[in-house]
Amino acid sequence: MIKIQNLHAQINGKEILKGLNLEVKAGEVHAIMGPNGAGKSTLASVLAGREDYEVTAGSVTFDGQDLLELATEDRARAGLFLAFQYPVEIPGVSNVNFLRTALNEKRAYHQQDPISAKDFMAMVREKSALVELDAKLASRSVNEGFSGGEKKRNEIFQMAMLEPKLAVLDETDSGLDIDALRIVSHGVNALKSPENACIVITHYQRLLDYIVPDYVHVLYDGKIVKTGPKELALELEEKGYDWIKETL
Amino acid sequence: MGHIIDPKLADFCALFKTNSIASLQALHAPAAQYLENAVFPTTREERFKYTRLQKLLNASFSPETKLEKEQLQTYAIVEDAINIYMNGSLLILPENLPTGLTIEALNSTSNHFEAEAFKDVFSAMNCLYANNGCRIVVKANTTLEKPIQIIQVHAGAAAFFRHQFVFEKNAEAKVILANFSLKDAVGFSHTHSAIQVAQDARVQIQKIQACDAAHFDFNEERSNQASNSVLEINTYTLSGGLVRNDLAAIVQGEHAETKLNGAYLLADQQHVANYTTIDHHVPNCESFETYKGIIDGAATAVFNGKVFVRKDAQKTNAFQSNANVLLSETASVNSKPELEIYADDVKCSHGSTTGQLDDQALFYLRARGLSEKSAKTLLLQAFMAEVLEVAEPEALSQFIISKIQERFAWEN
Repeated sequence: MIKIQNLHAQINGKEILKGLNLEVKAGEVHAIMGPNGAGKSTLASVLAGREDYEVTAGSVTFDGQDLLELATEDRARAGLFLAFQYPVEIPGVSNVNFLRTALNEKRAYHQQDPISAKDFMAMVREKSALVELDAKLASRSVNEGFSGGEKKRNEIFQMAMLEPKLAVLDETDSGLDIDALRIVSHGVNALKSPENACIVITHYQRLLDYIVPDYVHVLYDGKIVKTGPKELALELEEKGYDWIKETL
Repeated sequence: MGHIIDPKLADFCALFKTNSIASLQALHAPAAQYLENAVFPTTREERFKYTRLQKLLNASFSPETKLEKEQLQTYAIVEDAINIYMNGSLLILPENLPTGLTIEALNSTSNHFEAEAFKDVFSAMNCLYANNGCRIVVKANTTLEKPIQIIQVHAGAAAFFRHQFVFEKNAEAKVILANFSLKDAVGFSHTHSAIQVAQDARVQIQKIQACDAAHFDFNEERSNQASNSVLEINTYTLSGGLVRNDLAAIVQGEHAETKLNGAYLLADQQHVANYTTIDHHVPNCESFETYKGIIDGAATAVFNGKVFVRKDAQKTNAFQSNANVLLSETASVNSKPELEIYADDVKCSHGSTTGQLDDQALFYLRARGLSEKSAKTLLLQAFMAEVLEVAEPEALSQFIISKIQERFAWEN
């Protein structure tokens, strides 16, 4: 699905990713954990194509394509989805209208006809129910006036609508209470299939009680320094990130 | 007529013939006197500080093309309307008017224009040189079902137009005043509208400015409101080379409401200047003013909005805002909101913002698969929504949106 090799990236001349390697296959869930400043969100931003970041070395192959050559929108259309750590509020832009445009531009990219209004609305009803997002919220301005939990549920709602091959969840658990965490996780788990994959970026172990990973990676100082089964997350929680620093 | 001292102004005035409109005779002497001592505006003059008029002086106007009624009709925006068509000195008035509405040509003897303090040479020239226009009276207690649609199509040459709108007591009407010009026809037009709104009258005027880049499109509105009246003037500047709007609303009756909205969309070398004045003379009135602009290319926009609250105008509620989005490095805007308050028990606010599109929002939309172009379109439409939603009927708002899409190559 995605193969990241020796990825180096910098922002404003400061190197953040320093030779990151990661491979995720279809059907897998990978968790990336690490202390603040390790480069977790940088990885998410670089994968989505945020222009503030400059890739100085390495490669990313997504579904057989050179991901780094694609514009942000083409990455999305090719099936990459980033759930934002801080979803942006966009006053005046209707959530469902923009999603319909997004969906249709994706379909056009894959030489498919636009979705009918009827099918689209049925899909909105089905997918918003999945994350218990009020249909009224779904049609309001993008994230405007949403609570922290509603914003994150909206991210997963959009993910459900766009049906990506690879979803990157960037600290989706931050700012969520237990109920919201359960709802968001339920949404992510319901969307899991043998054809898609998920990278869960998180600082804390608790999200992984709900979204159970196949692999846990520890990102530290711009590199993956440790990989293990889901139990690694528990060990990290218990021993703290200092334990990783000591073992290096 | 006296002798104009400034040679540039004299040259420009020489393009026109003094009219013989009866209702303007009384204004000829003060207008001529004003021009004698005036100079052709330069950027040293506050009201023209950001507007270079050298291009207007240098322009060699295209010979005027006479258009037929059938051609003029193709410019109509709203299908079901009371239509007035104008082209140069041609005026086509509608037949079978509804009860309570009279429309006459500018030279109607019932016309009466108040003496005015000229704000610039063009105001004065209009009194002397206007040779086409109409007088529209909506009688007391009349509600017009259909809008009055005035279609002015400019086809080269330079001309002054003058309209008088009289909305009598408790009248209700909607007016569309649209300016178009032929492609590549170098021309100048200056349209003056005197608007009287009597007690309890409710009036909406939608100005559509869709001239070609070769045209100089100047406009001025002078309105006067009596008590309990509502006047809304929306100015949509969609194209045109150099466009000027000088709008002055005087409020002289209590509990009156004044709403001014503006949307201006500029690209290429376009220049659009909006000067507005709302003058509150009496207590208990409200005014709301919102102007929004999108400026691309090397275009320049000017917004200068003045709100006066006179000593007696207690309990005035005046709100003004101007917001701009610059789409290129070379686009610019000069925004100057001004409040002058002489009463002590009022609620007034004003604000002006100029920025670029929100990069974070743009990235968010693109990360969901929207092209940069459609993401920008969505964000700009959202920015403009507030001033576009007052564009009615539906046909008018559709017209505006299609022009915007054409102009910026926006997508649906």
